Amino acid sequence: MNEVMINAFDVTRNFTISRGMFRGKQQLKAVSGVNLTVERGEVLALVGESGCGKTTLAKMLLGLLPQTSGTVELCGQQIADVPRLELARTVQPIFQDPYSSLNPRKRIGSIIALPMKVQGIDDEETMRRRVEETMDLVGLPPRLFTAFPNQLSGGQRQRVAIARALVNRPQVVICDEPTSALDVSVQSQILNLLNDLRNELNLTYIVISHNLAVVEHIATRVAVMYLGRIVEVADTETLFSDPKHPYTRALLASVLTPDPNMDVPNNQLGASYPNPIDPPSGCAFHPRCVNAMPQCSKIAPSGSTQGEHYVECHLYD
Amino acid sequence: MSNRVLNVENLTVDIPLATGVLHAVDDVSLHVDRGETLCIVGESGCGKSLTSLAIMDLLPKKAIRRLSALDLGGESILEYSEREMSDVRGNKMGMIFQEPMTSLNPSFTIGNQMIETLHRHKNMSGVAARDLAKKMLEKVGITAAEQRLGQYPHQLSGGLRQRVMIAMTLLCEPELIIADEPTTALDVTIQAQILLLLKELQTEFDMGLVLITHDLGVVARIATRVAVMYAGQIVEEGTAQQIFENPLHPYTRGLMGCIPVPGKTKRGEPLGSIPGMVPSLIGEFTGCRFADRCDLAKTVCRQSDIRLRDPKTKIQGYRCVHEVKDLANNGVA
Repeated sequence: MNEVMINAFDVTRNFTISRGMFRGKQQLKAVSGVNLTVERGEVLALVGESGCGKTTLAKMLLGLLPQTSGTVELCGQQIADVPRLELARTVQPIFQDPYSSLNPRKRIGSIIALPMKVQGIDDEETMRRRVEETMDLVGLPPRLFTAFPNQLSGGQRQRVAIARALVNRPQVVICDEPTSALDVSVQSQILNLLNDLRNELNLTYIVISHNLAVVEHIATRVAVMYLGRIVEVADTETLFSDPKHPYTRALLASVLTPDPNMDVPNNQLGASYPNPIDPPSGCAFHPRCVNAMPQCSKIAPSGSTQGEHYVECHLYD
Repeated sequence: MSNRVLNVENLTVDIPLATGVLHAVDDVSLHVDRGETLCIVGESGCGKSLTSLAIMDLLPKKAIRRLSALDLGGESILEYSEREMSDVRGNKMGMIFQEPMTSLNPSFTIGNQMIETLHRHKNMSGVAARDLAKKMLEKVGITAAEQRLGQYPHQLSGGLRQRVMIAMTLLCEPELIIADEPTTALDVTIQAQILLLLKELQTEFDMGLVLITHDLGVVARIATRVAVMYAGQIVEEGTAQQIFENPLHPYTRGLMGCIPVPGKTKRGEPLGSIPGMVPSLIGEFTGCRFADRCDLAKTVCRQSDIRLRDPKTKIQGYRCVHEVKDLANNGVA
């Protein structure tokens, strides 16, 4: 049994939506009743359409957003009780857009050094040495130490963001769409880098992505989210070779592999994504599901597990 | 020849900057036939969007466009005035942009905007226009079309907005649609649906389609012919089969190696990559623009400009000094 890094149990997060001055407030369930375990050294991917709660869940796992109910544990300790500095030493984020996540008025060296300053390291010599080490690790030339972000290309900026996340040697890195703002040739460089760093530093990743080809390449385990719930979890090979949930199947059918002999797929997801303020009754996926049965619109599926493969669908009750 | 909807010859776009002239697009020639999909693919900054804007005559004011021919449906539109061009755009030439929220007017209803198009180009109004707008919304798979006509863009989801854009483009039955990254802002599931819709409508209306994208997956599935752009030039063009199964130019080959393909690339193994960066396009440039990043670069590559050449197939052209046999055996792929 591997060491459990993050354990989320029945986590829910609601947002209150105001509908104007004279109408009542409404609850939007961004994440509802999610169970998730992340073990040391694994790469867990969260996939799903926009608005399904991937980022909200990741923020709760980072301790950036308190959960409405349920528990999140980091190395066996309640995340709310972990002191902020220790939390920042253990878990670090990498965001999607390296153009907006770097301060344009700071030099690269001081951007990467900031997490050390936060941790109370103020020895110039140590800081400079560690920044240079980390820059070397992520493949940034030392001459960029005094450069500003606008002098860097998109790929280099993402490398800066990775260096900043890694400078305190965290154990868990949460990557929110790490390559979706980048060109394909740069994307492959960043994916290679993330893979190398994981082996070198024994990191645990939580990768959020909508690009299933990227997920297949980098992840060891995949969790599929739909409307705030995790509907299927399995290790990558199983999920891609034997997807169980109809939504996962539709998602996989939508992946456009570069094969000129194949047509544009028909994923048969008729209706558009439901409004999360007013989710469908029963199984939230039933209005778009090709396998919908009468009970799907009435009773929410409870979920079943076969070995390591979890699926939440009436087809497998 | 009546089948040719678009013919562009020797397009060059220069943008004068304080530091020198930016040669954003250099010697691009394209053509599209009825029922054909031409995909222009390339990374950011390669000039693919400027090429499409130049065809529509929508370039920024300070950009300088040079062309030796620009024909739409067999008629030269090169000398058209601003007024004449605006008659063509949205009428014979439809456009779909990346972010439908920015191309729809937020303060008018969908119906209003669709009817305005008909009023402007087809001199239609009233009930007839409204009926046609409703019919088009149904055609692009929007249910409750009557109701949608009264809604504002912000009330629709991204996928629906893009469908509205497509419906609006189809209103005047264009001969040619230029779509610039039409699915980039959408989820994968919606992307597949929109592409399927575009493909079906294209067959039904027998239109030419120019699709600009950076996503090779999209290109492979929808293109009849592909033009690969790098640093303002077309470096390779051919049928989708030729480009994907037998890429010749080292850049195209490198690009193919970069994409993870489920079932093909091994998990955990490094993906291919193209070292180095795109050269600056400011100022004069001689030689192959890819030479600095190319494994096969020789001194001749840097000495003079490389012309796009047709090997014996005459359809697949590539811009490289090397012979086909040398490229097929070497390189990255």
